[in-house]
Amino acid sequence: MLFKDIPIQKKLMRVILLISGIVLFVTCLTFFSYEFYTFRKATKEKLATIAKLISVNSTAALAFKDAENAEETLAALKAEAHIVAACLYDEDGKVFAFYPNSMSVGSFPVTPGLPGYRYSSSYLDGFEPVVQDTRQLGTLYMKSDLLAMNDRFRLYAIVVVFVISISFLLAYLLSKILQKSISGPILHLAETAKVVSEQKDYSVRATKNSNDELGRLTDAFNQMLGQIQEFNQNLEQKVLVRTVQLETVNKELEAFSYSISHDLRAPLRAIAGFTAMLQDKYINQMDDEAKRITSVITNNTLKMGNLIDDLLAFSRMSRKEIVKNSITTNNIVNDIISDLDNSSGKISWQIQQLPDTYADINTIRQVWINLLSNAIKYSVNSPKPHIHIGSYSKDSQVVFFVKDNGVGFDAKYSHKLFKVFQRLHSTGEFEGTGVGLAIVEKIISKHGGEVWVEAEKNVGATFYFSLPNNSI
Amino acid sequence: MLALLCSNFTGTGQSSPSLERRLKAVFLFNFTQFVQWPQNALPADQSPFVIGILGPNPFGVYLEEIISDEKVNGHPLTVHYYNQVEEMQACHILFVNIADIKKQEETIAALKNRNILTVSDSYDFLQKNGMIRLYTSENKIKIQINLEASKNAGMEISSKLLRLAEIFTSDKKD
Repeated sequence: MLFKDIPIQKKLMRVILLISGIVLFVTCLTFFSYEFYTFRKATKEKLATIAKLISVNSTAALAFKDAENAEETLAALKAEAHIVAACLYDEDGKVFAFYPNSMSVGSFPVTPGLPGYRYSSSYLDGFEPVVQDTRQLGTLYMKSDLLAMNDRFRLYAIVVVFVISISFLLAYLLSKILQKSISGPILHLAETAKVVSEQKDYSVRATKNSNDELGRLTDAFNQMLGQIQEFNQNLEQKVLVRTVQLETVNKELEAFSYSISHDLRAPLRAIAGFTAMLQDKYINQMDDEAKRITSVITNNTLKMGNLIDDLLAFSRMSRKEIVKNSITTNNIVNDIISDLDNSSGKISWQIQQLPDTYADINTIRQVWINLLSNAIKYSVNSPKPHIHIGSYSKDSQVVFFVKDNGVGFDAKYSHKLFKVFQRLHSTGEFEGTGVGLAIVEKIISKHGGEVWVEAEKNVGATFYFSLPNNSI
Repeated sequence: MLALLCSNFTGTGQSSPSLERRLKAVFLFNFTQFVQWPQNALPADQSPFVIGILGPNPFGVYLEEIISDEKVNGHPLTVHYYNQVEEMQACHILFVNIADIKKQEETIAALKNRNILTVSDSYDFLQKNGMIRLYTSENKIKIQINLEASKNAGMEISSKLLRLAEIFTSDKKD
């Protein structure tokens, strides 16, 4: 996970720990370096001091060539465990006496070098002139191992690691407590924002704990929430008002169309009734032309009656409340097909396993009736009529489709198709009032779904309707 | 280690002295650095620091070679040769090379209270109140000091030198 993506609490902790870690490390490193430098220097000085002491005590031995005495003096170095070797050179630069006894002359530098002490990888050694008054009587060579120093540095390293660990732990605990004063309000704000956006509850408010930038942020956040709440209330109020207005207008419109349809029926019934009387009673007095005209009247009143029936059905559908039940889609579809298909097996049906839905059974049945009867109607005259019923999932919706290989239509008219009384074929070609698809559209939109169509002239048409997933 | 030749070489001429004698000459010079003379014996001027040899000179020119260009507390060094005590003037270290014991005794007695460090390699020099005796043992030249005598003469011998030396006490019969 990238640093910028980790939670702010961890971010703060890491920043604090990183900084304190670096500071600790640099501090300890500085101390360690200082100790290293001073201790090396001190070790060198200590060796020089011991060398001076030995050299002062060796002057007489060198002057009077008393090697035994010189070795006795050197033997005092036993007290300094880290001095591993020492030797005295005489005036001529020859080894005169050495320490310890176990060594041999050959293990010392052949001739004395320049005065002073030098570090090499594993020991410290150097030369000290042996001087009496102003006369140099010889040279002292001293060699010290670095075990003491290494021991000391090991101890320092342990102390440093210990100090860093303890301080780091302390920093961790302190930062864990102290970072809350920064991350706490931020987390609280984030939590509040989450509640607001998830529950759409604009009445919650963040609690302000401090007067710093976070406090101001909290204030601003609360102010914005207040404004949103106000806007929201206004909006809801407006929507409510508009909805009521719309519903009123809609109801008026529906009542109007219902009463119109209803009222149209009475005169139509009169026309049909009287025409029937004409045909019954005066059939013998009518010539052929009169008979033809009366039959045209009868046909047209019948058609008008159908139109009014469909219109009433459509307007009833608009007012109907939806009552949801679970529906076994395949059963409904099969029932309808056995009712509608009079082609005695001419149509080949392809029916997929369809998902069951949770919807208003009466209206959904109407949808299937209308779509399937359309498919039969427009394809039954094809050479090999084939109707395919299927479904698929898309986004959060389930889509059903009915595909036929009938006459189809030009796709550019498809937008007209779901409007009342809109037809793409004449009544002469195919019967119908142009209300069926409008009813389908109405029902599906009441369920929260959509309808659409794909078609090609003389190839066929596919009608789709979708239902939200929660109606499955 | 010094392996010394213990030859009985007693040459007095100009020929090169034995290693033993050369070492003794070096020792004579080295005493200047480990012995402190009283203030009045070495006044703060350019007066020379004198190493005297009483009796035959056993060192040839070797001693003079050693001391040339050397100084003791700023005083140039010089070597004087004497046959008789009476000849002696200012002197700081005297190497007594007189075999005759009686004469030796007289010499030491004559030098009493004169702030002269007397050195010799004769056997009972210290019994006769001489101050430093050089003798050979186990192929090494060793130093024996009569601390009482040197103290009486106002001489202060460095502890460093004393550590190397054997201290002679008069009641001990060596």
